[in-house]
Amino acid sequence: MVDKLNGREIKICCATFYESDIVRMFLGDVLHPGGLALTCHLGEVMGLSARNRVLDVACGRGASAVHLAQHFGCHVTGLDYSQDNIAAAEEHATAQGVSQLTIFSNGDAERLPFDDSAFDSVISECSFCTFPDKVAAAAEMARVLAPGGILGLTDMTVNGTLPEDIQPLLSWVACVAGAGTPEQYIETLEQAGFIDFTVEDCNAALLEMVNDVRRKLLGIELAAGLGKLDLGDINLTKGKHLAKRAVELIESGVVGYTLIAARRN
Amino acid sequence: MSSDAEWYLNSLKYNKPGSIPHDFATAVEDGCPFDCGLCPEHQQHTCVGLIEITTRCNLACPTCFANAGPGYDLSVAQVEAMLDRFIETEGQPEVLQISGGEPTIHPQLLDILAAAKKRDIRHLVLNTNGLRLAQDPDFVRELSVYRPFIYLQFDGVSAQTYENLRGQDLCGIKKMALDHVAEAGLHAGLVATIVRGVNENEIGEILRYGLEHPSVLGVCYQPVTFAGRCLNHHDPLHRVTLPQVLHDLENQTEGLFMVKDFRPVPCPHPTCSASTYAYVDDKQVMPLTRLLDVDDYLDFVTNRVLVDASAVIKPVLEALWSMAAVMGSEKTTNNLTCVACNLNLNLPSSVESLVEHFFSVHVHGFMDAHNFDLKRLMKCCIHQLLPDGRAVPFCAYNTLGYREQVRQEQEALVGR
Repeated sequence: MVDKLNGREIKICCATFYESDIVRMFLGDVLHPGGLALTCHLGEVMGLSARNRVLDVACGRGASAVHLAQHFGCHVTGLDYSQDNIAAAEEHATAQGVSQLTIFSNGDAERLPFDDSAFDSVISECSFCTFPDKVAAAAEMARVLAPGGILGLTDMTVNGTLPEDIQPLLSWVACVAGAGTPEQYIETLEQAGFIDFTVEDCNAALLEMVNDVRRKLLGIELAAGLGKLDLGDINLTKGKHLAKRAVELIESGVVGYTLIAARRN
Repeated sequence: MSSDAEWYLNSLKYNKPGSIPHDFATAVEDGCPFDCGLCPEHQQHTCVGLIEITTRCNLACPTCFANAGPGYDLSVAQVEAMLDRFIETEGQPEVLQISGGEPTIHPQLLDILAAAKKRDIRHLVLNTNGLRLAQDPDFVRELSVYRPFIYLQFDGVSAQTYENLRGQDLCGIKKMALDHVAEAGLHAGLVATIVRGVNENEIGEILRYGLEHPSVLGVCYQPVTFAGRCLNHHDPLHRVTLPQVLHDLENQTEGLFMVKDFRPVPCPHPTCSASTYAYVDDKQVMPLTRLLDVDDYLDFVTNRVLVDASAVIKPVLEALWSMAAVMGSEKTTNNLTCVACNLNLNLPSSVESLVEHFFSVHVHGFMDAHNFDLKRLMKCCIHQLLPDGRAVPFCAYNTLGYREQVRQEQEALVGR
């Protein structure tokens, strides 16, 4: 799958996947496992406060950036590959009254459009795994962080190869095909100059996210069965199968979710 | 022990590995079932924790497996320590059942409910024979502050049944208790002890009664446990089995609920329980098994559901609602015409009222000395919580002398 797509295609494909309405319908506005509660926890692990200048790499529609600004009072710059997401993020920040604490801009995680040492904190949620060139992305995050600055990631981990039958979820597979083990992420980050690692297992948050999708599928089936919802030509079989396989992969430890925090040397 | 080989063999396929509690209270010394506490060989955590806050009772049922009657009350401090231990072993406990004896005659019941409510426990259930609920509507109103789910002993609809099983006709008492529960805005499940030759012919009528009473969200049938006083009155070899209840239900309701509508509950040993859910409104009773392939979602059904379907249904409806909120104006989802979201309902209250349309039917076969099965015991997730911090599987507690041991210890403590 990955061989057939070049890096740029993967980035567009992932951004498009996360932008699509059907994905938003099932995942809601917060698109990463653990939701804003885990975002907040990540901020606490990093020791964020109102003094910090934070960069959110692959900020999506700005849910985390806005939440961090509200919760910690810090200044947050959000960067995303999709122009539509940037527009939505700006709108969200204004609606939430934190437009003065947030800036959103369009750009590529592998060539961050910021000066060296421009930030003292960098976060990236459920995104590092999607960056085709992780060495470049890690080096860029290190470059824009001032020495002693803190990096906080939460991300998908994959241990081994993903089975064939989940391939139908093409874009998602393209994203997580780039996921590695926590050890691999740490190694890449160490090479980029990060030290003092904190690692937390967040598999339960990932499982909860998948089960939330399954509850929605059940709700839809139920409402359709009772004649309260017209499904039209939408077929839920494939979605149900994928969700079920996802649970099995998480429970068997093939797919997981991990929090990693580290300090820029 | 089963009366339906097909049901039994099929149910084994539903076994699912359990999850382990955060802490064990005992070590493996004499081997199962003599080290209960739980010991590290136990295969499932506590889905339902029971606390018998009193051994006293205002009835003297000939069928009582707990030998309740005169006895002692646990202090609020004792119960609080047990609750803290429950949190220690479970993290966020799922269900707490306050039981007895008859818990409503404990003088500090409300303090105990408040203590439970203060802690992070998802569902609070009060087991009762309904006597005090019928006689004291003010008490039911006081109870309603703590929103317990009322798990009401309800064995049938005839005077003879109650006279045989409970020593007196309680038909009027049960009705009045349920009316008071409804007036206080609480919900109840009917819990029927089924004894062969006494009330198995009322299985269908119990269901109909439940469907018609506004406070009732489900029925739970429990073939009688041959322990305690029950052994003086009934023959343990003359028993009702779990599949028999299902067949009786199908026959006595003209197929409103059929055997094939039921699935084993995968969280304890799958031969212990069977359950189903139905959507109920004025016009219809529709078991969900006839609307969708419930096997796809069975892992959402754990013992926490007891007779209250809301534990399963509510998160599903909330998920659906949260999706409806996003769905509204989206172009790709235009062909999903959601009746609920077009109505622009007030979210929490509409989920609440929809939940009341789901009715659950549950059968749980407990074990006694005559049908004891260690495989079932090791997977048990209904545990008696003890004052000394142990948690003992319900059937072991009733059958193997644990109950008598605890009673002796506690009576020594209060100086009897």
